[in-house]
Amino acid sequence: MAKKLHHTICDSTLFSAFFERHAKNLHDFLYYKFGSELNPKDKVQDAFIKLWQNCGKIPPEKAKSYLYTTANNLMLNAVAHRKVVYKHREIPVKNHTNESPEFVLEEQQYLEKLNKAIANLTEAQRVAFLLNRIEGKRFKDIAEILNISTKAVEKRIYSALKKLREDIDGI
Amino acid sequence: MNKDEIINKWLNHELTNEELHVFNTRKDFENERRLAGALHHFSAPELKQKEILVSILSAPKLKTKGSIFKPLIRIAAILVIGLGLFWYSLTLNTTIDSKIAEKLNIILPDNSEVVLNAKSYISYHKNSWLENRTLELNGEAFFDVEKGSSFTVKTNEGIVTVIGTEFSIKQREHIFEVICYEGTVAVNHKGQQQTLYKGDTYLSINGNLIVTEKEKLQQPAWLTNESIFKSMPYTEVLKEFERQYNVILELDSDIESNTLFTGRFTHENLDIALKSITLPLHLSYSKTDQSIILRREH
Repeated sequence: MAKKLHHTICDSTLFSAFFERHAKNLHDFLYYKFGSELNPKDKVQDAFIKLWQNCGKIPPEKAKSYLYTTANNLMLNAVAHRKVVYKHREIPVKNHTNESPEFVLEEQQYLEKLNKAIANLTEAQRVAFLLNRIEGKRFKDIAEILNISTKAVEKRIYSALKKLREDIDGI
Repeated sequence: MNKDEIINKWLNHELTNEELHVFNTRKDFENERRLAGALHHFSAPELKQKEILVSILSAPKLKTKGSIFKPLIRIAAILVIGLGLFWYSLTLNTTIDSKIAEKLNIILPDNSEVVLNAKSYISYHKNSWLENRTLELNGEAFFDVEKGSSFTVKTNEGIVTVIGTEFSIKQREHIFEVICYEGTVAVNHKGQQQTLYKGDTYLSINGNLIVTEKEKLQQPAWLTNESIFKSMPYTEVLKEFERQYNVILELDSDIESNTLFTGRFTHENLDIALKSITLPLHLSYSKTDQSIILRREH
């Protein structure tokens, strides 16, 4: 059996590399799961700080799951403290457009519908689907982030797509 | 080209250029195209990773957190456990037992005196003794009880309750004997209640009550290292002998072991004692390594 190279990630170079690898994924995960209202950025920072402060106690192979669990718990605490309805980012209003007012209005309505439909997905469906569609992650990558099988990811994404089609007329 | 297949590849970002062209132009993918375009409005904001990393790495390490309290918690835990054990020990009974050929003098918390004869034991509750003078006895003991509330001795055979008095109890396999030397003693034995006054004896052998004459001694003979018997089955005498000398006595089969024996033996000299219990019955004895054999004299 190969001897482990590092027993902790207390070394700042190691830690920085770990941060680079996971920070964005963690942030996306929290954002798509809980929405923007609860400040996922702060939770990412807090979770990494906890990991950094406790680095001596956490073996490197457990660091990722520690990080996700911590961040998720921080989020859940915040949810419990103020019950917030899931809401995605405000739909940007284009000021300069050469499209017709009718088209803009229709587009606006479509986005609102989509926003509602996304909010209506289960957390699991939403996270998998948005990581896939927005962040361009493949099934395999998502499976690794969520620590589940590729098949399960596929299932979540398909069911999400199906639900969105149903919720938005015409899809 | 199959729609589902393209959707599948689209979802897993596996479309070839040719397929991508189909997806982007064919009419039946319009909805997916619209969805894909619109979804970008919902993307997570960019994370300023560098800034965040700097602030994380500059956060103080928590190595010392709790180190002020940890020793205190340890001390507290030890105290709690120690106190627990102490309280537990307070509830435990004090047990004293004497070995073969041993007599023990015990002063109880109220200055009452107990003398344990050989191979006997008592057990009592030290801390609540003054409120509840109750002890358990197995074997033989003499009690000199200080005046006060009732004093109770529990044995397997019966319960003896007294108030400020001197008495002895002998509770062995087949014998239950209570002798009152001073004051009064109440004996509760197998449902029978009897009050003993000075000099009275309550004697039960094999459950049969035996009538005995008044006791003239001031205290049991065994306190002065003698065992005295009046019309006692010989086997009981031999058992007492074994308790006092740590020997094994063997009786020849032709000797009637239920013969009543009246006499005494000392606890201080084995040979004299052996003679004391054998001569009156015309027996002789011979010692081997393990035991002493008693035979009929020829």
